[in-house]
Amino acid sequence: MPVIDYKCPNCGSSMMFDSATGALSCPSCGRQDNIEQLPDPLKKQVFTENEVQQYHCPSCGADIVTEPETSATTCSFCGSAVVLGDRLVGDLAPDTVIPFAISKAQAEEAFRKWCRNGLLTPAGFMSADRIKSMTGIYVPFWLYELHNLVEVYGKATRVRSYTQGDYQYTETQHYDVYRKLRLDYVNLPLDASEKMNDELMDKLEPFPYEQLKEFKTPYLAGYIAEKYSYDDEQLVPRAKEKTQPYIDSSVSQSLSGYSSVSYTDKQVDTTVRRADYALLPVWLVNYDFKQKNYMFAMNGQTGKVVGKPPLSKGKITAWFAGITAAALLGMKFISWALGGDFL
Amino acid sequence: MRSYRIPLFMMAMVLLLGLALPMVTHTAAAATSAAESKKLIYDQANLLRPQEEEALTRLARQYAPERQTDFIIYTTNNPEGRDVVKMTEDLYDRKAFGYNQPYGNAVILTMDMYNREIYLAGFGKAEQELNDSRLDKIRNKITPDLAVGNYGIAFEKYIQLSYDYMGYKFGTTPDNLLFQFWFQLLVAAAIGGIIVWIMAYRSGGVITVSRATYEDSSVSGVLDSYDNYTHTTVSKRKIEKSSSSGGGGGTSSGGHSHSGSRGSF
Repeated sequence: MPVIDYKCPNCGSSMMFDSATGALSCPSCGRQDNIEQLPDPLKKQVFTENEVQQYHCPSCGADIVTEPETSATTCSFCGSAVVLGDRLVGDLAPDTVIPFAISKAQAEEAFRKWCRNGLLTPAGFMSADRIKSMTGIYVPFWLYELHNLVEVYGKATRVRSYTQGDYQYTETQHYDVYRKLRLDYVNLPLDASEKMNDELMDKLEPFPYEQLKEFKTPYLAGYIAEKYSYDDEQLVPRAKEKTQPYIDSSVSQSLSGYSSVSYTDKQVDTTVRRADYALLPVWLVNYDFKQKNYMFAMNGQTGKVVGKPPLSKGKITAWFAGITAAALLGMKFISWALGGDFL
Repeated sequence: MRSYRIPLFMMAMVLLLGLALPMVTHTAAAATSAAESKKLIYDQANLLRPQEEEALTRLARQYAPERQTDFIIYTTNNPEGRDVVKMTEDLYDRKAFGYNQPYGNAVILTMDMYNREIYLAGFGKAEQELNDSRLDKIRNKITPDLAVGNYGIAFEKYIQLSYDYMGYKFGTTPDNLLFQFWFQLLVAAAIGGIIVWIMAYRSGGVITVSRATYEDSSVSGVLDSYDNYTHTTVSKRKIEKSSSSGGGGGTSSGGHSHSGSRGSF
């Protein structure tokens, strides 16, 4: 049976991960188990591959309805936290996990607060009373360690300007320049889930890596978890794309002090040293507003909220008019201070 | 609709201030100076009617204390055909104009009806505040009226413009874009547009990580580099001198330097 659940040894209730204490806790009798010292049931079990993909809840026996990517969920009949072990072993075994630090109630409160701070969002949206669902989900990420060797050749100039007599002289000194840089990036996160919007996940960063823990299944108890849809090799192009601006900025910083630089040759040699499979905590919020569905994501550790809220035309107009009026007033003051008329 | 109040409040403040400030600034201008017996208009060519002369004197007296400057008008038929600049300088030396002191701050407009020439000169503080280029601007603005014989209107404009220009700081003139309403509105709208655009852009959350977040600084860095100097190129450009048409300033035989603008009408 590849389905794992967590029965309380005291009272038999289904135990859940508690984000406040970081322990596996029993909601009935209050028992708290330190996950780091808990033997992971996953390690003891051996699954044969290509097993029929049908799961039953160990508590009530009902079928567990899941999507093919799901590796942890709750039984839709009895509510027990269940982990689908065969989706977390072998190549699919996560190396690390950052557990949730924000509980569902805190996440809801943080989301409401974020809505209230929306300066351009419609007033109806700000009340945040249309939250359809709030799902805690462990999103699969690859944490890359990339070693880059960058070599740049280029032509640079330094411009100096001075006046002599009736003439303004512009003196340009030309240089041939070369830079060789080593740029190593560690724990560069890239979301490996097909369902998650890449742009949204990029904005959720940074995740606090000091909270990274060795993966153990009890961390997933009570949450949804997904397995990766793209393996570490498939995401290397995206990883390179993501580090491209970092490399460019390092190169241009190393060439600061010149008036202009043009590159004649630029070579980036990237080696992927490591790719750790990590599950990172994200709260997904489905929000219903004026018959449209909006999706927001919240970093399960830091509480940072991302996602495109609706924008109110009225508020945009009001802010534009207000700022323009204030700026016009400022301009009038400047003109007045310089001796002009105020009107 | 609580959220609309802040921008609306701001707009209301702008309107109130916009109405209140000009009143404050203009009340000072309205205060007429104590009646002075000093003669400011020397209309030897008889270009002005008595009531025009009276009105101009009143205007010049009204503005003089604010700018600490005398606004002088001198017209002459110049039968000897003397040089207009020389005449102006000599007049200043002889009459010792100046609001604050003898040989003090004064602006002089001299009309030479013989050569049909005009000269504007700034003495004392007015030498800087009404420099050659500003005097050029004033002269260019009044020349059309002089050409058709509207002397009274031209002289009034001269006093008015001299007064205005002396109030502008940092080398700006009323022709500067900064004082054009359409330009002010354009800049204000651009600022408003940019800020609101940034607000809208940031509403969905922004990326807060940089290269420093993931860079392993203990090993990253420049391994090797060279900067080989190859050659130098030099280009030169002639500096355009702001040419002062109409002669510019000078120094009178009495040793008083001044700015000036000369032209014919």
